[in-house]
Amino acid sequence: MNFKKILVAVDASENSARAVEYTGIMIGQTPGFQIHLLYVERHPERDIFPDDASWKNACQEEEQNIRDFLAQARGMLENKGVQHEAISVDYASSGSCSTGPQRSSKGHSVANHILKVHQEGGYGTVVVGRRGVSKAEEFLFGSVTTKIIHNAKDCTVWVVE
Amino acid sequence: MDNAVWERMQRVLPSLSLRDRGDIYTDTTEFMSISYGDVISLGNRLFAVLRDEAERRFGMEDPKYWVKRCRDLETEEQYILKLVFHERFEQNIGSITIQCFRSPEKESRILDRVKNDARFMQGITLHDVAGNPVRVLELIRGRSLDNVIEDIDADHRTYFYELFPGILEKFIGTCEAIVFLHDHGEKHGDIRRDHIWIEHRTGRYRWIDFDYAYESTENPFGLDLFGLGNILMFITGQGIHTTHELAATQKGKEILSTLNPEDFSLLFPNRLFNLRKMFPYIPEELNRVLLRFSAGTYVFYETVEEMLQDLKPCLSCLPKT
Repeated sequence: MNFKKILVAVDASENSARAVEYTGIMIGQTPGFQIHLLYVERHPERDIFPDDASWKNACQEEEQNIRDFLAQARGMLENKGVQHEAISVDYASSGSCSTGPQRSSKGHSVANHILKVHQEGGYGTVVVGRRGVSKAEEFLFGSVTTKIIHNAKDCTVWVVE
Repeated sequence: MDNAVWERMQRVLPSLSLRDRGDIYTDTTEFMSISYGDVISLGNRLFAVLRDEAERRFGMEDPKYWVKRCRDLETEEQYILKLVFHERFEQNIGSITIQCFRSPEKESRILDRVKNDARFMQGITLHDVAGNPVRVLELIRGRSLDNVIEDIDADHRTYFYELFPGILEKFIGTCEAIVFLHDHGEKHGDIRRDHIWIEHRTGRYRWIDFDYAYESTENPFGLDLFGLGNILMFITGQGIHTTHELAATQKGKEILSTLNPEDFSLLFPNRLFNLRKMFPYIPEELNRVLLRFSAGTYVFYETVEEMLQDLKPCLSCLPKT
C-alpha cells in the first residue's frame, strides 16, 4: 500500500467537507501525493416513493447535489495548494437511476464499496468524516465510518469529526 | 348498485337493510368514502365491505380506514382488503425519530415472495381500475402473541419452566422466517409483538403487515433486529418490566436497587433487559442474548442469523420441571 495515495470517501455532508478540508491542509503543496475523492451512490429507497417518476426525480436531484459537492471539494483541495493533476474524482454510480429501481428494500453497503475501491486502488490512507452517532443510532442504522475503521486493512484511516 | 349485485349482497349478508345499500367501487383511491354496504369490484371479484379494521394499541382503538374487512360475494369467505394509502409519518423509537412510509408495492412484493409459506400471512394483489394495488389478505383466525402472553394466568417461574420453552422454540421459527426475508433482500419493517399472530387451529406463529418502508441505511436490517430483541425480552419476561412497575412493590424496589442504566434497553431507558437480575433462573446464555440489546452492550448483532447462533443453543439450557 502506498500511503501517499489517499482515498477520501465523501457523502456531501458537513463532516465530509471537513474531511476534505483537513486533507487539503495536511497535504497542501507537498509533492508525491495523489488524492482520490470518492462518492458511492446510495439512492433513496424506491419503496418510500409512490411511483417511479417521483423516485427518479429525487435521485436526479440528489445526484446533482453530490456532483456540485464533488466540484466544490476539488476546489477546496486546490485552494489548499494541491495540484489539479494530483486530484481525481469518482462518482460511483449504481446505474439504477436510469435502469430503474432495485425491487427490494435491502439497499447496499456503502462501506463495503469504499473498502473494495481501497483494496483495488492500493490506497494507503483512507479519510472519512464522522458526525458522531449514538450507540442506539449505530445499532439501528449502522455506520459507514465504524465499518471502515473495523474492516480496513494495511492502511491508515483518518477520521475527521 | 345494480339489483343483481344487491340481491347477492342480501343473500350473503341477510342483516343488510335497504338503507345500507351502497355503491360499487371499481376505483378505491378515495378509500374514506367506502364503507359498510358498499362493494369493491376488482377484476371479476366482488367484495362486500363489512367494516374498517382497527388496531388496538396501548388501550386505544386506532381505526385504519384504508383497511376493509370484506366478504367475497362468490365464495362468502372473509378477507381483509388493504387499499392504497401512501402515508408518511414519523415513528419515535425511544429518543430517535424515524421517517416511515407505507408502501403497498413493498407489501405486494413480499406477499408474492412468501406465497404458500405459512410463517407469513397470505394474500394476493389485485389492481383496481385506477391501477391501485389492493392487497387481498386471508384472515388468520387466532390472536396476537402479546395478547396470548398477557392472558397467561401463571406466575413467572411456572410460565418460564412450563410454557416458555415451547414459546421460545416457536419464536426461533419466526426469526428464521425473518432470515428468509432478509436473504431475499427484504425487510419486514414493522416487527412488533402484535404482528405475530398465533393461529388457533395449528398454534402456528405467523407474521403480518409488511408495508412499512424506511430510508436505506448502512445497516438495512437494524430495525428488524431491534424488533426481534424487544419480542425476545417480552416473551422471556412474560411482559415488559419497567422501572415504574418495579418501584411499585417492595420486592421490586429491592431489585431496582441492584440495577444500573446498562441493564435497560438501548433505546428505552426504563425497560429492563437484564432479566436475570429479576428472575435468577433465566439461563446466563439466554440473558446474554438479551444484553446485546441493552444499553450496556458494546457489540451489536448485525444479522438475525448471528442472533440465532446464540439463541438456538439456549433451548437446551432452559431449566427442566
